[in-house]
Amino acid sequence: FISTALRSSDAANWRIVPRKNPASDYPSDFEVVQIRQATRNSLFTLQDHPYIKRVTPQRKVFRSLKFTDGEYPRAPCNDGRWTQKWQSWQSSRPLRRTSLSLGSGFWHATGRHSSRRLLRAIPRHVAQILQADVLWQMGHTGSGVKVAVFDTGLSEKHPHFKNVKERTNWTNEKTLDDGLGHGTFVAGVIASMRECQGFAPDSELHIFRVFTNNQVSYTSWFLDAFNYAILKKIDVLNLSIGGPDFMDHPFVDKVWELTANRVIMVSAIGNDGPLYGTLNNPADQMDVIGVGGIDFEDNIARFSSRGMTTWELPGGYGRVKPDIVTYGSGVRGSGMKEGCRSLSGTSVASPVVAGAVTLLASTVQNRELVNPASMKQALIASARRLPGVNMFEQGHGKLDLLKAYQILNSYHPQASLSPSYIDLTECPYMWPYCSQPIYYGGMPTIVNVTILNGMGVTGRIVDKPIWQPYLPQNGDHIDVAISYSPVLWPWAGYLAVSISVAKKAASWEGIAQGHVMVTVASPAQNDSEAGGELTSTVKLPVKVKIIPTPPRSKRVLWDQYHNLRYPPGYFPRDNLRMKNDPLDWNGDHIHTNFRDMYQHLRSMGYFVEVLGAPITCFDASQYGTLLMVDSEEEYFPEEVTKLRRDIDNGLSLIIFSDWYNTSVMRKVKFYDENTRQWWMPDTGGANVPALNDLISVWGMAFSDGLYEGDFTMADHDMYYASGCSIARFPEDGIVIGQALKDQGLEVLKQETMVVDNVPILGLYQTPSEGAGRIALYGDSNCIDDSHRQKDCFWLLDALLQYTSYSMMPSSLTHSKSRVPPPTATDHPLPQRLEGNHLYRYSKVLESHLGDHKPRPLPACPHLSWAKPQPLNETAPSNLWKHQKLLSVDLDKVVLPNARSYRPQVRPLSPGESEAWDIPGGIMPGRYNQEVGQTIPVFAFLGAMVVLSFFVVQLTKAKSKPKRRKPRVKRPLYLQQQQQQQHTY
Amino acid sequence: MVLRRLLRKRWVLGVVFALSLIYFLTSTLKQSYTRLQEERTFGDRTLLELRDSDHHIRWKVRFNLGNSSRPAAQCRNSIQGKALLTDELGYVCERKDLLVNGCCNVNAPNSQQYICKSCLANGCCSIYEYCVSCCLQPDKRALLERFLNQAAKGFKNLFTAVEDHFELCLAKCRTSSQVSTRLAGVHLGCVWITEASAFNVHLIFLLFLQSVQHENTYRNSQAKYCYGESPPELLPV
Repeated sequence: FISTALRSSDAANWRIVPRKNPASDYPSDFEVVQIRQATRNSLFTLQDHPYIKRVTPQRKVFRSLKFTDGEYPRAPCNDGRWTQKWQSWQSSRPLRRTSLSLGSGFWHATGRHSSRRLLRAIPRHVAQILQADVLWQMGHTGSGVKVAVFDTGLSEKHPHFKNVKERTNWTNEKTLDDGLGHGTFVAGVIASMRECQGFAPDSELHIFRVFTNNQVSYTSWFLDAFNYAILKKIDVLNLSIGGPDFMDHPFVDKVWELTANRVIMVSAIGNDGPLYGTLNNPADQMDVIGVGGIDFEDNIARFSSRGMTTWELPGGYGRVKPDIVTYGSGVRGSGMKEGCRSLSGTSVASPVVAGAVTLLASTVQNRELVNPASMKQALIASARRLPGVNMFEQGHGKLDLLKAYQILNSYHPQASLSPSYIDLTECPYMWPYCSQPIYYGGMPTIVNVTILNGMGVTGRIVDKPIWQPYLPQNGDHIDVAISYSPVLWPWAGYLAVSISVAKKAASWEGIAQGHVMVTVASPAQNDSEAGGELTSTVKLPVKVKIIPTPPRSKRVLWDQYHNLRYPPGYFPRDNLRMKNDPLDWNGDHIHTNFRDMYQHLRSMGYFVEVLGAPITCFDASQYGTLLMVDSEEEYFPEEVTKLRRDIDNGLSLIIFSDWYNTSVMRKVKFYDENTRQWWMPDTGGANVPALNDLISVWGMAFSDGLYEGDFTMADHDMYYASGCSIARFPEDGIVIGQALKDQGLEVLKQETMVVDNVPILGLYQTPSEGAGRIALYGDSNCIDDSHRQKDCFWLLDALLQYTSYSMMPSSLTHSKSRVPPPTATDHPLPQRLEGNHLYRYSKVLESHLGDHKPRPLPACPHLSWAKPQPLNETAPSNLWKHQKLLSVDLDKVVLPNARSYRPQVRPLSPGESEAWDIPGGIMPGRYNQEVGQTIPVFAFLGAMVVLSFFVVQLTKAKSKPKRRKPRVKRPLYLQQQQQQQHTY
Repeated sequence: MVLRRLLRKRWVLGVVFALSLIYFLTSTLKQSYTRLQEERTFGDRTLLELRDSDHHIRWKVRFNLGNSSRPAAQCRNSIQGKALLTDELGYVCERKDLLVNGCCNVNAPNSQQYICKSCLANGCCSIYEYCVSCCLQPDKRALLERFLNQAAKGFKNLFTAVEDHFELCLAKCRTSSQVSTRLAGVHLGCVWITEASAFNVHLIFLLFLQSVQHENTYRNSQAKYCYGESPPELLPV
């Protein structure tokens, strides 16, 4: 009926684009149509057709390989795709899921430890550094373990691999070969048998090609490929691919399903470091082993993603990830066709762990004991902690293969915790907990512990976790509330411990200790009778530092509740110049991308707490300043009223806003006529209309202006990156203006215009007695770690001085750049972009017959404190050393030939480095086999030589009689010529 | 000298040539044959696909014996379940009712065979274990055979590796590309699109009577495990 529909319009040239994918054999509810002429008319005709629900432009979901920043452009299509510069920054849905490796050149350019660059550049054999040869000598080479490599494929006759069981293609490209080298490298680190040796050369390789050479991949490809991996009973799966979309439910569910089927999944944590809050999915899942990268000097690699998981925001607190770290910088692995190359990235670290896991799995006699949880427990318990690095960067530390071998081979099924203890005084490992002591009246400190259950895929917590304070160590000074997963599935669950100070310790200072006891039960698989259960009890020691409640002026409350980000919706980056990374996805938390700001405020003596609930849910009399930065969320009417009252009662407010330009968004919308389902930002950088509703009572408002530029304020160099200006401000307030470029004009018309006296900063003392102060600033980029060019922490200090202590910074008040407060006539106030879908992702709005109205105000979170069961005990002084896996006897498993000490870092001369490329005869059997195969070749060559000798002899013999013939013919020829001359 | 003269004779040379040729041919043939065999066993799935396009599933011949109290020595089961499991005889039971041999305890009060709880008429269920159990019903055989003959071509990788009814049901009930909306089924190269905008060629998607969902959302998050032929019905957002 498309043809009938189109006949009415004059579109002569159209065709249905055939779809070549596995689903095309099903009846489909959509069709891809290509129209060449009279496009607009045909589109309208189609849209009007009664059988056609909707017409949408063909769109490409993008999961690009983050292979190298320089070598492989992240989105090569985008630049040429849209001619207009300002549209290209969001012309594709970016960074959905990317491969996580970097080119070898990237790391060397960072300049950190530049004096050691030479050392780092020397290629090393990662398997030997991790002492895999000890296990090889014991006869363990990964045999019998099925490893799946989900990557860019592998060419058929790569000389490094001897046991490639199967290669499958799940992409739309008709090849199984690797066109990028990424998949080959990853497979090589796991299972290469020569040159750059992998960990488990005898393992059974299953190559899944899920990434095209154009670095494209779709969730649907992964779903089908994962199903196949389950059917094939894969043991270990490496996924050096990740993306920020942890709300891709079909994908996340499928990963759970995969691990539930006993597939040990190892995944790269991401290459978005050193920024915090940049963990990639699926490595951030509890059931997956998430791997971060270090260099050969045990520094966390700069690119390695870090920070807590952000699934739990705003109400909760993130889990510790990565799980472990290992070498991921300048590691050597298989080249695309042959030979070796070196590569950097967590893409590289992930197969190092996957290879180690494969090798470890092959050492275990009773394979029943190996499951995703027990393997993770063994890796975690054996990992070697790096000094001076916090747990949100290194997880449990550096992979220690031999110790993991010992633990795994004396393992019996049990539960364990990650982290295994809570010591809020331990710095720097327990950063950020150790950076701020707790006090009475503060927001509860939440530690999100992961329970790993090696006893079975499913489990539960028996009764309730028990809180047992140690009376001799003031354990009764803290209250503890515990929430946990109702079912531990697959293999894991959470245990969130909220710690608060008891009222009696309001002015007390000291250390309090206790522990939480958790009993985990799983259905027994091998019990003689049905209904049996395995149980395991684990102890979680808790140690906190308590101080007296600091004064109100020192306490700053960070509003987390009103920050929205990708996923689930499209929330654009605050800096419009950052076209490569258009998403705001780092969580906007003081422990993720506002970490530097947090550290700065702590160093200035402020105590920063996080509000993960509506504004109605905190006691304003406790806090000096409420800090609202880059808020995208709307506000409940109750919140607006409450904030007004709080400020009248002495609370101060600082708002760092961001751009919200409806013209720019309309421009975007215009472009989005093709893709409006997908590419309309739901707010600007911040939700300025909502903020204006919040502050309108004081006669303040932000504008829809969009400004950018460098300037100097109070002797500080500043950069204003896509911010708004102040549109309205009370007459008795102080306003600072600067000359800035009108970026809106630049975006819309590609014109450059400098506007003088753009009001960007406003300070105001609210009039009533004892009331608080309000400070507004139009741009949040200078306190955000992502894409920050020049920080403005000094400005934040000055504003806090003003709001907390009412001390007007003289550098600002006496500044030349003071401008008269703008009034309503200067600028029209921005209105919410019509047709935005913010209600879909908002906690505040809901859709009522097309109208967006606030929901009923949710109840404030209420913690039910665990009933303490005091103990007359004292805890050991070092909690960490005592917390390993239960009853694992390391002495029982002896390593033969375990070399007492192998230097981890060995500087090599260039000539020597080649020696590393030749393996020291690890698998002699295979080499014999190789020789056996080459014998026929030699015989054949010999025969050919003999043959050619005889052929030459024969031709020699034949050529002799031929020589005479020309002599006979010559006179004839001459005669003929002479005759011809006569005739002419 | 005699030897030299002998070597010069043509028939001697011919014999030497023939012998080496025979040797050469046999050795190369042997090599290619072994490689062919390797490909058969270890080879690429695409090669296999080309060869057996009419692959049929080897059906597990098993009929329902009335009471279905037939004891099995060892059962495979669905492994992954949070609370429930389905064994290869089609019984769904709670994890605690699983016997050591992997079979459900058929005498447990909650164990039921061939149960289609939570399944809709279109063959989509909201609980995976019930989907598998329902799919194992003997009367679903015709449906599954029809599916294998038609639709399964798209999932050839998967369904050629399936060995019997139970494996087929395990695989069929899993969420797959069928389940998430495939808006982006075709990857269109970048060059295409650039040209497209230049020549005013528009590539559009038509969605008939259904609402748009992302590739990262389920068509129907309630009933997403399907043994039937049709994909889950789209739920409005």
